[in-house]
Amino acid sequence: MSDILLELKGLTKIFTDDAGTAEVLRSVDLKVPEKEFLCILGPSGCGKTTLLRCIAGFETFTGSVLIDGQPRTQPGTDRIMVFQDFNQLFPWKTVEKNIQYPLRLSGIKDKAELKRRSDEAIAKVQLTGWEHYYPYQLSGGMKQRVAIAKALALKPRIILMDEPFAALDAMTRRDLQKEMLRILGEEESTVIFITHNIQEAIFLGTRILVLQPGGEIVYDEPNTLPKPVTPASDEYGRLWGTLNAALYSRSQG
Amino acid sequence: MKKKKSETLYPLIVKIVFVAALLVLWEYVAKSGLLGEHSALIFPSLETIGAAFIRNFKVGFAGSSLWIYIGNSMKLLLEGLLLGIGLAFVFSGLSIISRTFSIIYNFVVSICDLLPGVALLPVVIIIFGVKPGVIVFLVVHAVIWPMSRNILDGFLAVPQIYVEAGRNIGLKGFRLLTGVYLPAATSYIVSGLKVGWARAWRGLISAEMIFGIASCPGIGLYINQMRTNMNNAEMYATLIVIVIIGVVVQYGILSPIENNTVKKWGMTR
Repeated sequence: MSDILLELKGLTKIFTDDAGTAEVLRSVDLKVPEKEFLCILGPSGCGKTTLLRCIAGFETFTGSVLIDGQPRTQPGTDRIMVFQDFNQLFPWKTVEKNIQYPLRLSGIKDKAELKRRSDEAIAKVQLTGWEHYYPYQLSGGMKQRVAIAKALALKPRIILMDEPFAALDAMTRRDLQKEMLRILGEEESTVIFITHNIQEAIFLGTRILVLQPGGEIVYDEPNTLPKPVTPASDEYGRLWGTLNAALYSRSQG
Repeated sequence: MKKKKSETLYPLIVKIVFVAALLVLWEYVAKSGLLGEHSALIFPSLETIGAAFIRNFKVGFAGSSLWIYIGNSMKLLLEGLLLGIGLAFVFSGLSIISRTFSIIYNFVVSICDLLPGVALLPVVIIIFGVKPGVIVFLVVHAVIWPMSRNILDGFLAVPQIYVEAGRNIGLKGFRLLTGVYLPAATSYIVSGLKVGWARAWRGLISAEMIFGIASCPGIGLYINQMRTNMNNAEMYATLIVIVIIGVVVQYGILSPIENNTVKKWGMTR
């Protein structure tokens, strides 16, 4: 399989502190092909965020994370993370500079080219006109849009999203989900998207994974419902029920 | 817009009224002879102080105008400040890059910050002699520790998410320091500058008062000379000069730095 972009082999993560050790991820194997939108669902504490952080290179781990067959242990611009926290933008840079700065670091020095790339990304998330604002002047939803634009502008191999919409109000979240879908239709990026929201996973994912504690994969199927998915879509209820059962399979009561 | 104007105008009015009231009170005490026969000497009237103020610059002391003294003080102060702030940045920056250095430097800062510069003065004079360099040394000592403490605390307070976002876009080592840690710690750095400058300014005047360097006489020495010569009005007038310099630095240098960084970025109100 040459189109496998990301591969995890025996990924294991053990946290050690005064209280003892916790095996958060136990030998996780996963293959993600190019252009897939992989949604990972899981209860709190199942290790889904840790999984993403290992892929991003923020954590030490045993086992391997391979991008195009090459091992990765440190953060890099081929894997860009979009965090849940609204405060992931640098407050000392404007919207435009927040997007241009990583581009500049990656070697683009030409000002016109930087401007073109940032304008393009800003337009994609519909924030044209907000280029020169500072992050503190934006709403939470707008900040998340900028974070997404920043990731898109870099054209990474894979975008890692850790519940990016979880702290938004329901209406803004719906808007951003729709935009995500539209943007990805144009971009064909590869995304791993973590959520605890079943509706979000069905709406966005082309493949859905359910994790249980220890990083155990209890459900892993492509999401074949035609986009855009609404609760009225055929099979929506059945899929929702299946995912819900997988999600709550380990909880008491 | 109207509301905003009154918000900036009100504090100004309060300050002006307060100062005017103080001046009236001062003038009353000076004129009333409340403090006995030496009243005029202890509490010179405003017009005497005003005249002394002008005399300070026109006549000065020992053939040099107060400008010369101010110039000397400022030169030493500036040298010391630049050196102290520069070293504070270098050492605090190294603490981010090396853990061992960080342990040592934090320890050194905690100890040295407690040592008043003036207490070090005798030791420094014994070793180096009475030279302008001694004053520079004291200014460096006054500014480097509070400045370092603030930078180090500022680095500790940098949200982990900025550091991770920085590492994600390929920053590490020195570039992570300049690209994330320094800007993220700006509010701490600015307050370090304020504390450092105030300490340096006081340290400088004290040192000059304790021992005047004839080759490089400064404002502190000038005040002391006015005291020995019973030129009380000149003494008060020089205090006003010291306050004016402080205000100019605060509003001419420190406030603009603050307005163009942390305030502009919404990191403080």
